[in-house]
Parts: sequence; C-alpha cells; structure tokens
Amino acid sequence: MNRRKALKNLGLIAGGIILLPSCDFSDEKVSIILNKLQITIEEEKLLQEIVATILPEGEIPGAKSLKVSNFVWVMIDDMLSDKKQKSFMNGLRLFDVNVKELRKNSFTDLSENDKLIVLKDLLNGSTQKDKTENKNDLKDVKRFLQAVKYYATWGFMQSEYIMTDIMPYQLVPGTYGSCETIETNKRINING
Amino acid sequence: MAKINMESKKQRMFDAIVIGSGMSGGWAAKEFSEKGLKTLVIERGRDVKHNIDYPTTNMYPWEFKHRGEITLDLKKENPIASKSYIFKEDAIHFVVKDKEHPYVQEKPFDWIRGYQTGGRSLLWARQTQRLSDYDFEGPLRDGFAVDWPIRYKDLAPWYSYVEKFVGIAGDLDGLPELPDGEFLPGMKLNCIEEHFKKEVHKNYQNTRHVISGRCAHITENKDIFIQQGRSRCQYRNLCQRGCPFGGYFSSNSSTIPWALKTGNLTMHNNSIVHSIIYDDKKEKATGVKVIDATTKQATEFFAPVIFVNAGSFNTNLILLNSKSKRFPNGLGNDNGLLGKYVAFHNYRAKISAEYDGFLDKHTTGREPTSAYVPRFRNIFKQETDFLRGYAAGFFAKRKIIQNKEGIGQELKDQLLNPKFGSWNVGSHMMGETIPKEKSQVSLDKDKVDEWGIPLLKVDLEYDENDEKMIKDFFEQFTEMYKKAGFTKIKTFDTRQAPGLDIHEMGGVRMGKDPKTSLLNKWNQLHNCKNVYVTDGACMTSTSTQNPSLTYMALTARACDHAIKNFKKE
Repeated sequence: MNRRKALKNLGLIAGGIILLPSCDFSDEKVSIILNKLQITIEEEKLLQEIVATILPEGEIPGAKSLKVSNFVWVMIDDMLSDKKQKSFMNGLRLFDVNVKELRKNSFTDLSENDKLIVLKDLLNGSTQKDKTENKNDLKDVKRFLQAVKYYATWGFMQSEYIMTDIMPYQLVPGTYGSCETIETNKRINING
Repeated sequence: MAKINMESKKQRMFDAIVIGSGMSGGWAAKEFSEKGLKTLVIERGRDVKHNIDYPTTNMYPWEFKHRGEITLDLKKENPIASKSYIFKEDAIHFVVKDKEHPYVQEKPFDWIRGYQTGGRSLLWARQTQRLSDYDFEGPLRDGFAVDWPIRYKDLAPWYSYVEKFVGIAGDLDGLPELPDGEFLPGMKLNCIEEHFKKEVHKNYQNTRHVISGRCAHITENKDIFIQQGRSRCQYRNLCQRGCPFGGYFSSNSSTIPWALKTGNLTMHNNSIVHSIIYDDKKEKATGVKVIDATTKQATEFFAPVIFVNAGSFNTNLILLNSKSKRFPNGLGNDNGLLGKYVAFHNYRAKISAEYDGFLDKHTTGREPTSAYVPRFRNIFKQETDFLRGYAAGFFAKRKIIQNKEGIGQELKDQLLNPKFGSWNVGSHMMGETIPKEKSQVSLDKDKVDEWGIPLLKVDLEYDENDEKMIKDFFEQFTEMYKKAGFTKIKTFDTRQAPGLDIHEMGGVRMGKDPKTSLLNKWNQLHNCKNVYVTDGACMTSTSTQNPSLTYMALTARACDHAIKNFKKE
C-alpha cells in the first residue's frame, strides 16, 4: 500500500470513528472517561506504548506501570484548544503510518530498541524524505510526540509513586530549613 | 397580623449590623459580640466553616486531576479571575467567577474577589506591616488627597491589640518607617536573603533595609491561640486552601468562630446588602435592606450601629446605592466625593537575577513568607522626581536543573537525578499610588445584577508618577543586585492592569473636614454617624504596606468607639 492510499484509508477509518463514536464491536472499552476527545481502544493502547518507551520500566517503575498515559489524555482533553487537539489526534493517527513506512511494522510490534530509535527519529523530525508532501501532517506527528513527552514527564514526576518513594513530598513539613548544607551523596529531592 | 409583624421585626433587630465577614468584618463581629452586643453579620456568599469546608486542604499534588492547573475552558470563561495567582485548582472554589458577578471596566481593572464567609482573608498573602507617620503624614507633606485625621499614635495601641490576637511573626528591626509590633519569633531568612540583607545595609550605609516580612503566621504557641483552636504554622505553604492548623490568620479560623462562641453572633449567609436604610425623621441610619441570593426576596434588618465591611469597592457600591431623600447621591455623600479618590498598589515591576555563592547550601520545606524591603525613597524628605515610594518583596531559591532532553532510560535517569544550579533571586515592587478625583468607582446607570443592584463601574489607571516609580525601582534594584554580586539581572514590567494587587482602596476616605472627606477620625460617616466604614474604602492614602493589618486595627478602634457610644445611649 502506498503512503497516499494508506493515509486515505486512515482518513476513512478516522472519519468512521468520528461519525460513529458509539459503534464499538468489541467488548473492550476505553478505560478512561474524557470530555471532548473520542478515542479508540487501539489509540489508548498505542499511547500507552509510546509513553512506556519515553519513560521505560526499570528498578524504578516506568510510565506504563504508573499509568502516566491517563494523565496525558486528561491534559490533552482539558488543556488544549480545539485546534491543538485536532492536530494532536491527527498526529496520533498518522504516527503508525509513519512508523510502518520507516520500519515495515506497527509501533507495538517493534522491539524495544527499535521503538526507541523510531521515536527519537520522529521526535527530531529527521527521517522524512518527502518534505513536500503533507508537510502539516508530519509536523503534527512531531508535535503530537512533543506533547506526549511533555505531559508524560510531568505526570511521571508528579505521580504518587515518585512523590512518595523517590522524591517524597511532605504535606506537613513542620519546619523550614533556611540554610542547609547539601549532602552531596544524596539524590536531590525536588519536592523537599 | 400586626402582632406577627411586630414579632418578626423583633427578630430582625440587633445591637449591631456588620456587612461582610472578611478581614475587617470578622473583627467587627468579634469585638461586638465579645462585648455583649447582639450582632448580625451579613455575608453575601456561602458559609465556609474552618476545616469543614476546606475540601482540598489535605490533598497531595497527584490527587489533583490537573496537578493544580486550571482547564482551558475555565480560563476562557474567566479571563479576569484566571489572571490571579490564586485561581488554581486547589483554591478556585474560593474565588469569584467572572460571569457570576459582572462589573463594568471603564478602564482595565482586574477585580479579584472571594464571596464567602471569611471573604479574601482565606486567600491573602498574609503580609502585615504597620504604617508609620511617614505614611500618615504623606498627603499633608506632599500635597495630595487630604490629610489623614489620625496619626500613628492613634493607631499604635490598636495595632498591638490586633497583633496579639492574630499572631504576627516578625523581628524587632527598629525602623522608624516600619514600626515594630507585638511579634512572635520571625521567620528565618535563607542564606541568600541574609546575604542580600548584609550587602544592602553595608552598601547603603544602613539607609536601606532587608528584613523578614512580618506575616500573620503563628510561630510560637500561646494561650490566646490555643483558645482559638489554632496552632503553630507547619510550613506547608498551602494557605490558600484554608489551614487545618489555623497556622495563619483568617476570619474563618479566628474571629468568626470566636464571635460565634459568645452566643451573640448571628450569621446570615447568601444575603446581599442592597442598601442602608436612612430615616429622615430620626436623622440616622436604622438598618439595612438585604436580598436573599437564592429567593431574591428582600428583608430589612435593624440596628443602632452599622459597620460597612463589604470589601473596599463593594462598600462604595452599597453606600452609593443607599439613596434617600436626605442623601439622593448615596449615604453621607453631601460633597459628591463618595467613590472618588480610589487607589491601589502598583505591582507591575519585577526583577530577577542569579547568584553563584553559597553553592553548598539549599533550603528545605516551604517558606510561607519572604524577605521584605521597606520603602527607602522619599521617606524623610522629597528626593526624587516622583512622589512617595515603593516597598518590595525579596526571595531566593536554589535552582534545581532537570535535564529533559532525549527519551528512554536516559531521560528517566536525568529526571530522577537533577542537579543544583545557582540561586534564583527575585523582587516585586509594591508602589504607593496617588488617589485622584478622576480615579473613581460609580454606579452604572443601566446595568443591574441579577438581584437588581446596579453594577459597579471602575475607572482607574496608572499615571506618570507610577511610570517614574517603576523606572526608579528597576534602576535602584539593579544597582542593589549588582552590589550584592547578583548576575544575569532581568527586569520585567508585567503591564498588568490595576487590581491584581488585590489592594484596591479608598472612595470613602477619612479626613478632618466633611467638605473634603466622607469619614471622620473614628471611621464614622461625617453626615450619618451611626454608620462606620473600616475596610479598605476608608483609606485616605495607600502607603506601600500590605493594608489588611491596618484595616483590622482601624476596625477594632472604631468598634471600641461605637461600643462606648452605644453604652452611653
């Protein structure tokens, strides 16, 4: 399938979703309730995967287990203008088209390493050969990823886990340390 | 039927009526009910009970859906309120939404309001500096507005009286331009704030000062606070949510529950004062006409003494709307000056910088106050090409650098292992503005709110004096910063409209002469002596100091005067 055709099909699918938001043939439901955005279970999963690549699991839990993608959805839904939301959703829907073109596979089917490489490339906007075609669409993909990274970073750092176990936020500090000597071997607590 | 009406009227008779339950209204409620007067407080907003009605007070950052931010829809619906730093997810329920209470801006004015029990005392920045005679004598010396009918000595004992109950943290700095008070231990300056203090003292031969901002926070437990159910500040710095410890002063945590405990206070919430009733025969005010916010039904309440503490501009509105045969232009307004000579504080200028010293130090916890630079311009004599001067806040905070480049493990490692940068420092200007006749609030001739009360028109702007002062602030602070070794100095003029300072004042100014002022030295209307105005509306000039403490002291003093008169009668 050539790129143009793929885009056309995608447009049809996206259009179908917009026209028939309640037309859902599977038992699986989108797990998050949003005010404005209409998203599919596939899109929800895709965003989860992207966020998981941006902030992977490790000794300290990553974005996936901290459910950071939910925060990303909420913020996109409530903080962005209609225009920016449209661009975001367009970027999201074109994202996999671009990935397939670059890697012959859907993002979710790639190895962890390939996911990282393709995300970096798309974020940097350094992969595109045909800049004349759908310039705005490519911009949307990049902007989509930038927004995802921005909110994912925010949601991750302000997750209960990070603000409790890694950089504890004290609701009741009790005192103010006006001039404390830094303990150089300790992790800096941005919430301290 | 007549008998029922008599009964009903009896239930609507009090010894004193207080309009408003905010910073100054709370004090009037306390003073009157403590001294045995049956007191009615009329509050236009809903009730907010200490602790019970602080829904966000114990929430962690991650429990806020938007981590404290306001949604785009809310921002769009509230172009005025959302300009205020207080209009955030954790305190939005205490701030008036634009649509609910419209007003008319003749010139841009951002009116930030809190309609509930406690009013804006829940939300204030808690800075409590006394005025000095260099402020009270300002208009006379510099030839603007009118002479204040009082001097520092008149108010000093009442400052003390109020401070002991409120709880003020501060140091005894011994400055004639910023008199010391009844202080609890002052909050500590951090290393850089201390450094700036020493440098400024040294570089300006002790003519300029940097002190710990006096603030309404309890830093030492005392019996008087225990009696109020309040305890020491816990450095949460989440004051705008309402404090479960009562660590800072608000009407909600302090004066209102204190007054309720006496059994003499009746609180009527959701009750909007339409006007004050003037009796032509008795030649005095007899009560107030109140409209129920929900049912929109009007009721009258009566008392021999009425205190108007609706919050500067709303106090003006009520008086302007109190028309009678005797006062066709508003209560007490024989000279036509009611609503005129309003002013505010000029908060437009900010200056930031960095400092590379004390790199082995940082701060922990959260500081609910900051350093304060008292006015140093034109205090003892006129020395610049503008009148009056400015005070400033000053803060320093260690910068923490989080590298947000890249993605994957690299990004995660960077985020979780931030590095210290230099120190960020910043100041904001608090400039005195000159009250002028053309600066005024008035009633709109056509537009009314949903309770049939005319909308308030606000006509107020910066003048040349303000512009000169901003320029001077930038010059002086740039020099002070440079001399203290600060680098990367950046000045910033926010160009914000008047109003965001939330220090609107005047319109019902105090003065000696009924021809040129509305209130006498006891805050009584010259022409209707059983009506007192003791909120910001009474201010003859603005000074540079955060004004709430002065409103409270003036209120306590006026209550004492009213009670003595009441007893005589």
